[in-house]
Amino acid sequence: MPNIVCCFKWVVDEAYIKPSSAGKIDLEWAEHKLSDYDRNAIEAGVQLQEEYGGTVTAVTVASSEATKGIKDALSRGPEKAFFINDEQFENLEPVQTSAILAQVISQQIDYDLIICGEGSSDMYSQQVGPRLAEKLGIPCIALVKKLEIKDNRLIAERKTDEGIEVVSAPLPALVTVLPDINNPRVPGLKDTLAASKKPVVDVSLEDLAAEYPALMVLEDMRAASLVRNCTRFGSGPEDIQAFVEAVNKTGIIDRG
Amino acid sequence: MAGVWIYADRNEQGMELLTVGRGLANQLGKTLTALVAGDDSTAQGFISRGADEVLLLPSLGEGQPLQDYIPLIANEASKADPDIFLIAASLRGKEMAARIAARLDTGLCSECTAINIDDKGKLQMERLMYGGAAVQKVSISSRPQMATIPPRSYEAAEPQSDRQGQVKSLDPPEASGIQVIERKGQEAGSGDITAARVIVCAGRGIEKQEDLAMVRELADTLGAEIACTRPISEEKHWMTEESCIGLSAKEVKPALYIGVGVSGQIQHVVGIREAGVICAINSDENAPIFEAADYGIIGDLYKVVPALIAALKK
Repeated sequence: MPNIVCCFKWVVDEAYIKPSSAGKIDLEWAEHKLSDYDRNAIEAGVQLQEEYGGTVTAVTVASSEATKGIKDALSRGPEKAFFINDEQFENLEPVQTSAILAQVISQQIDYDLIICGEGSSDMYSQQVGPRLAEKLGIPCIALVKKLEIKDNRLIAERKTDEGIEVVSAPLPALVTVLPDINNPRVPGLKDTLAASKKPVVDVSLEDLAAEYPALMVLEDMRAASLVRNCTRFGSGPEDIQAFVEAVNKTGIIDRG
Repeated sequence: MAGVWIYADRNEQGMELLTVGRGLANQLGKTLTALVAGDDSTAQGFISRGADEVLLLPSLGEGQPLQDYIPLIANEASKADPDIFLIAASLRGKEMAARIAARLDTGLCSECTAINIDDKGKLQMERLMYGGAAVQKVSISSRPQMATIPPRSYEAAEPQSDRQGQVKSLDPPEASGIQVIERKGQEAGSGDITAARVIVCAGRGIEKQEDLAMVRELADTLGAEIACTRPISEEKHWMTEESCIGLSAKEVKPALYIGVGVSGQIQHVVGIREAGVICAINSDENAPIFEAADYGIIGDLYKVVPALIAALKK
């Protein structure tokens, strides 16, 4: 019966991000959420447990901001969580997050399979999963859309630019999952209540007794300008005609 | 010597990396090394297009995944200590880059949208964050400075007649324990939207699956490929994920894009930001797609699209 670890990140909900003056962005009022793809990671873990038994443990590295995230993650089915938290664990880059996860998982959690989302919905660097596998020295299968366990091996369908590759790997292993692997369940009131009774292991930076230097330097951040100067038309016949003329003027459409 | 290194799992993307890699190497006054799978004539093709050195990756065994090159590439990079290592941001390339970076204990800028060398000879890179709502500018304090470069960010390098370079063949990699059991091609019925010159995109405003026929007719009238937003492929399963535009899906660069019933969530808009002309049809005048569009029709798509098809056919 597999012991499954699902990693997740508590992120700023990008729907709340508004450009402020001078091209900066305003995060002060932004709500947080469980990173979209990590919902798929947790769901994948819980579905495997429903099929094969075993355990599901949710793990995150964050500042205390993510306390709500622990409850959110646990309401989705895992029976236990590791909350690796410190006020310094804010805006970590992938090299740091993966090193911290590797240390805690290898020292404190008995695992057969680690599941990560394909990337986080805030930074979307898509590095933590693959880096974590390398740090742990276990097989990595990224961008998985179908997953099963057979004879102590993992059988996974992963997406490539050419199509699909079906691969088999020995356990323990790490996978990153795509959003199309499942439809994450929406926790109900009962799940939320049950979540607050589940055990949470707190791990602090002090407990880790190590340093995790950043290797990437953030030089600047500004609002992305995707804004164009939109000419608006109504939907009357003259409007449609004017729109077609505007499009024709671009010379893009081949009238041959 | 080590200078700038490039690797792409497809040679056409390797040719694009030659363009950006050669430019950076020239600015630093250093050499350009390409990691290439293929034979000597493939290697000569890379040399004539700008590489000073080619490291030839040997062919893989039956059932061996491409990722088995990772230890080999990381070992070579560790020995040579390049200043910069660029990898094509294909699906496999992104995973391989992250794992190579982990082995080299270095920073990696994922899916770089801009890359330059500052006056101190350091890379300054830009990438999108928050689903495309913000741009971050980063540099890397470790070696090599690594980045993945999205496909079609640069023109492929052209061959020049008088270029010389070295070719070194690498030893075959050991098997990793991961076996490829089967390879399946792309799901049928979808054209390649990333290569399309004109795209008509169906969004959540489409109410029923059969109504896609109307969108398809508009696409046919324009000689366009049809694409969709995430709700259409992922929630409704009306179209395949190969047709889906946006973050975690396809990024497209058509000359003309027309969104039909597309609301314009940031995760979708980020996938069309390189489009030449963006048009939108939506009944909600406050839909964010109009912020990102050049031309917009505010109206019921069920009336607008047939009228538009008729007007285009005139």
